[in-house]
Amino acid sequence: MECWGRMLRAFLSGPGRRGGAWGSAYSSWRPHRPVPGLLNATELVSHWTAIFEKEGIPEAQESSEYIVAHVLGAKTFQSLRPVLWTQPLTPWQLQCIQELSSCRLQRMPVQYILGEWDFRGLSLKMAPPVFIPRPETEELVEWVLEEVAQRPRAVGAQGGPLILEVGCGSGAISLSLLSQLPQSQVIAVDKGEASICLTRENAQRLRLQDRIWIVPFDVTLEGSWAHLLSWGPMDLVVSNPPYVFHQDMEQLAPEILRCRKAEAQRGKLPCPSYEDLAALDGGEKGMDIITHILTLAPRLLKDSGSIFLEVDPRHPELVGGWLQSRPDLSLDLVAVRKDFCGRPRFLHIRRSGPQHGCPAHAWPGPQPARVPG
Amino acid sequence: MSASGFLRFPAPLTRRCMVPWGLRLREMPALLSPGTAVTPAQMAGRKDRPALLSLDESELEEQFVKGHGPGGQATNKTSNCVVLKHIPSGLVVKCHQTRSVDQNRKLARKILQEKVDVFYNGENSLVYKDKREAEKKKQERKKRAKETLEKKKRLKELWESSKSVQGERSADSD
Repeated sequence: MECWGRMLRAFLSGPGRRGGAWGSAYSSWRPHRPVPGLLNATELVSHWTAIFEKEGIPEAQESSEYIVAHVLGAKTFQSLRPVLWTQPLTPWQLQCIQELSSCRLQRMPVQYILGEWDFRGLSLKMAPPVFIPRPETEELVEWVLEEVAQRPRAVGAQGGPLILEVGCGSGAISLSLLSQLPQSQVIAVDKGEASICLTRENAQRLRLQDRIWIVPFDVTLEGSWAHLLSWGPMDLVVSNPPYVFHQDMEQLAPEILRCRKAEAQRGKLPCPSYEDLAALDGGEKGMDIITHILTLAPRLLKDSGSIFLEVDPRHPELVGGWLQSRPDLSLDLVAVRKDFCGRPRFLHIRRSGPQHGCPAHAWPGPQPARVPG
Repeated sequence: MSASGFLRFPAPLTRRCMVPWGLRLREMPALLSPGTAVTPAQMAGRKDRPALLSLDESELEEQFVKGHGPGGQATNKTSNCVVLKHIPSGLVVKCHQTRSVDQNRKLARKILQEKVDVFYNGENSLVYKDKREAEKKKQERKKRAKETLEKKKRLKELWESSKSVQGERSADSD
């Protein structure tokens, strides 16, 4: 991540220490220097928007607005104090904007460029290759909160719901649930080490580390789930699992794939993608991880416990059909919810009583793994 | 999308509800005189301070900057501007205040709630009432500050004059 590394060094070193090293990384691309006379934020946004558009960068205006706002200390251009729109920028600010914009010219996602992004009002650190939370997923959390508010639960000694998140990434889902449910506790698992680290860091930034356990865990590996039982039966399982159909992976934007095709055409080795593709690829029908979660969940959930998933719009039917083929799991698809674009995006699946062959309900402590049937 | 999800406004939002920049209000028709307004039933509130009219989700039309493409994991979009229209009044609010779609939706509803209140209730709207109250308090503070200043001035004059009287007396007593 040469752009990332240089950016970090630039921020750490302060003005005046960049020297010539910056130019050499972009020998194949002409640097765009700010035209003399462009000194204020509004003009700079126009300047970079035009450059991005010329280079075919999507969301040209949004990208330049976020970058300029970030350098001026605001989260969005619209939330900047208006006096800052027309105030001249310092050379240091101009340099920062130049460097961040250079990253955008390499199709780096804005969230990685800024090193942070918001999810339901929480500010989270972002770092490649950890998956960037999508806006749709905010609604998954909304749904879980609605359901928790509606269902009168038998409040145990610890209070709020015990939640398992599979594939926590940056911690977005877990941390927003924790922040809205002060009595809740979360077990957040992910198979990626970078995700474990980033979730931990975000938990600490938000001072939620006391109610979250972050555990490396690969849901596709048989038998590795037994130690999760030691936390007791869970009220909820939540996940935004990799659900992209494998055949669709090729179509993903360079922000995700990072010009893989272009590199391959030039005969170079494919460079690593910005985001970890394992966080996206759900296998042939995008169902691989989903089916593993649904197989595991009944062993960890209380009776009538719920599973909330974000999925591809083709999945409600596929998942419904798959659950019918697995009556041993005692899971029912109870609801499908659309996202703000009107696409079926979220599933609510409920465990309908004790699973066949498993002890009902009471989990006094760590137990040997049991296989149903 | 259930209506219940959007009638809850988390506490931090209510504090943040100043007039945000970047708002564009299309078609703001002239205010109706209070008597002719057709409004949904007022929510029960405190005796002297009725609560803001709540918005009915079925009367709202929401739009997002939708990119082409499948959405969800398959895309990475940062444009999360929300455009919210109140159909009966035609009022429109556009909100791009935050980096979170969810927060922009809630903010847009809060802002639209106030716009609708002003639209239907004009001078009697909560927004106007709050403004007048704030202005009134400000004037009262100014008045008190002025009075305090004058009191101090008088006291000082009194002290000054009593000092000079003392000086004369001591001169006399020598």
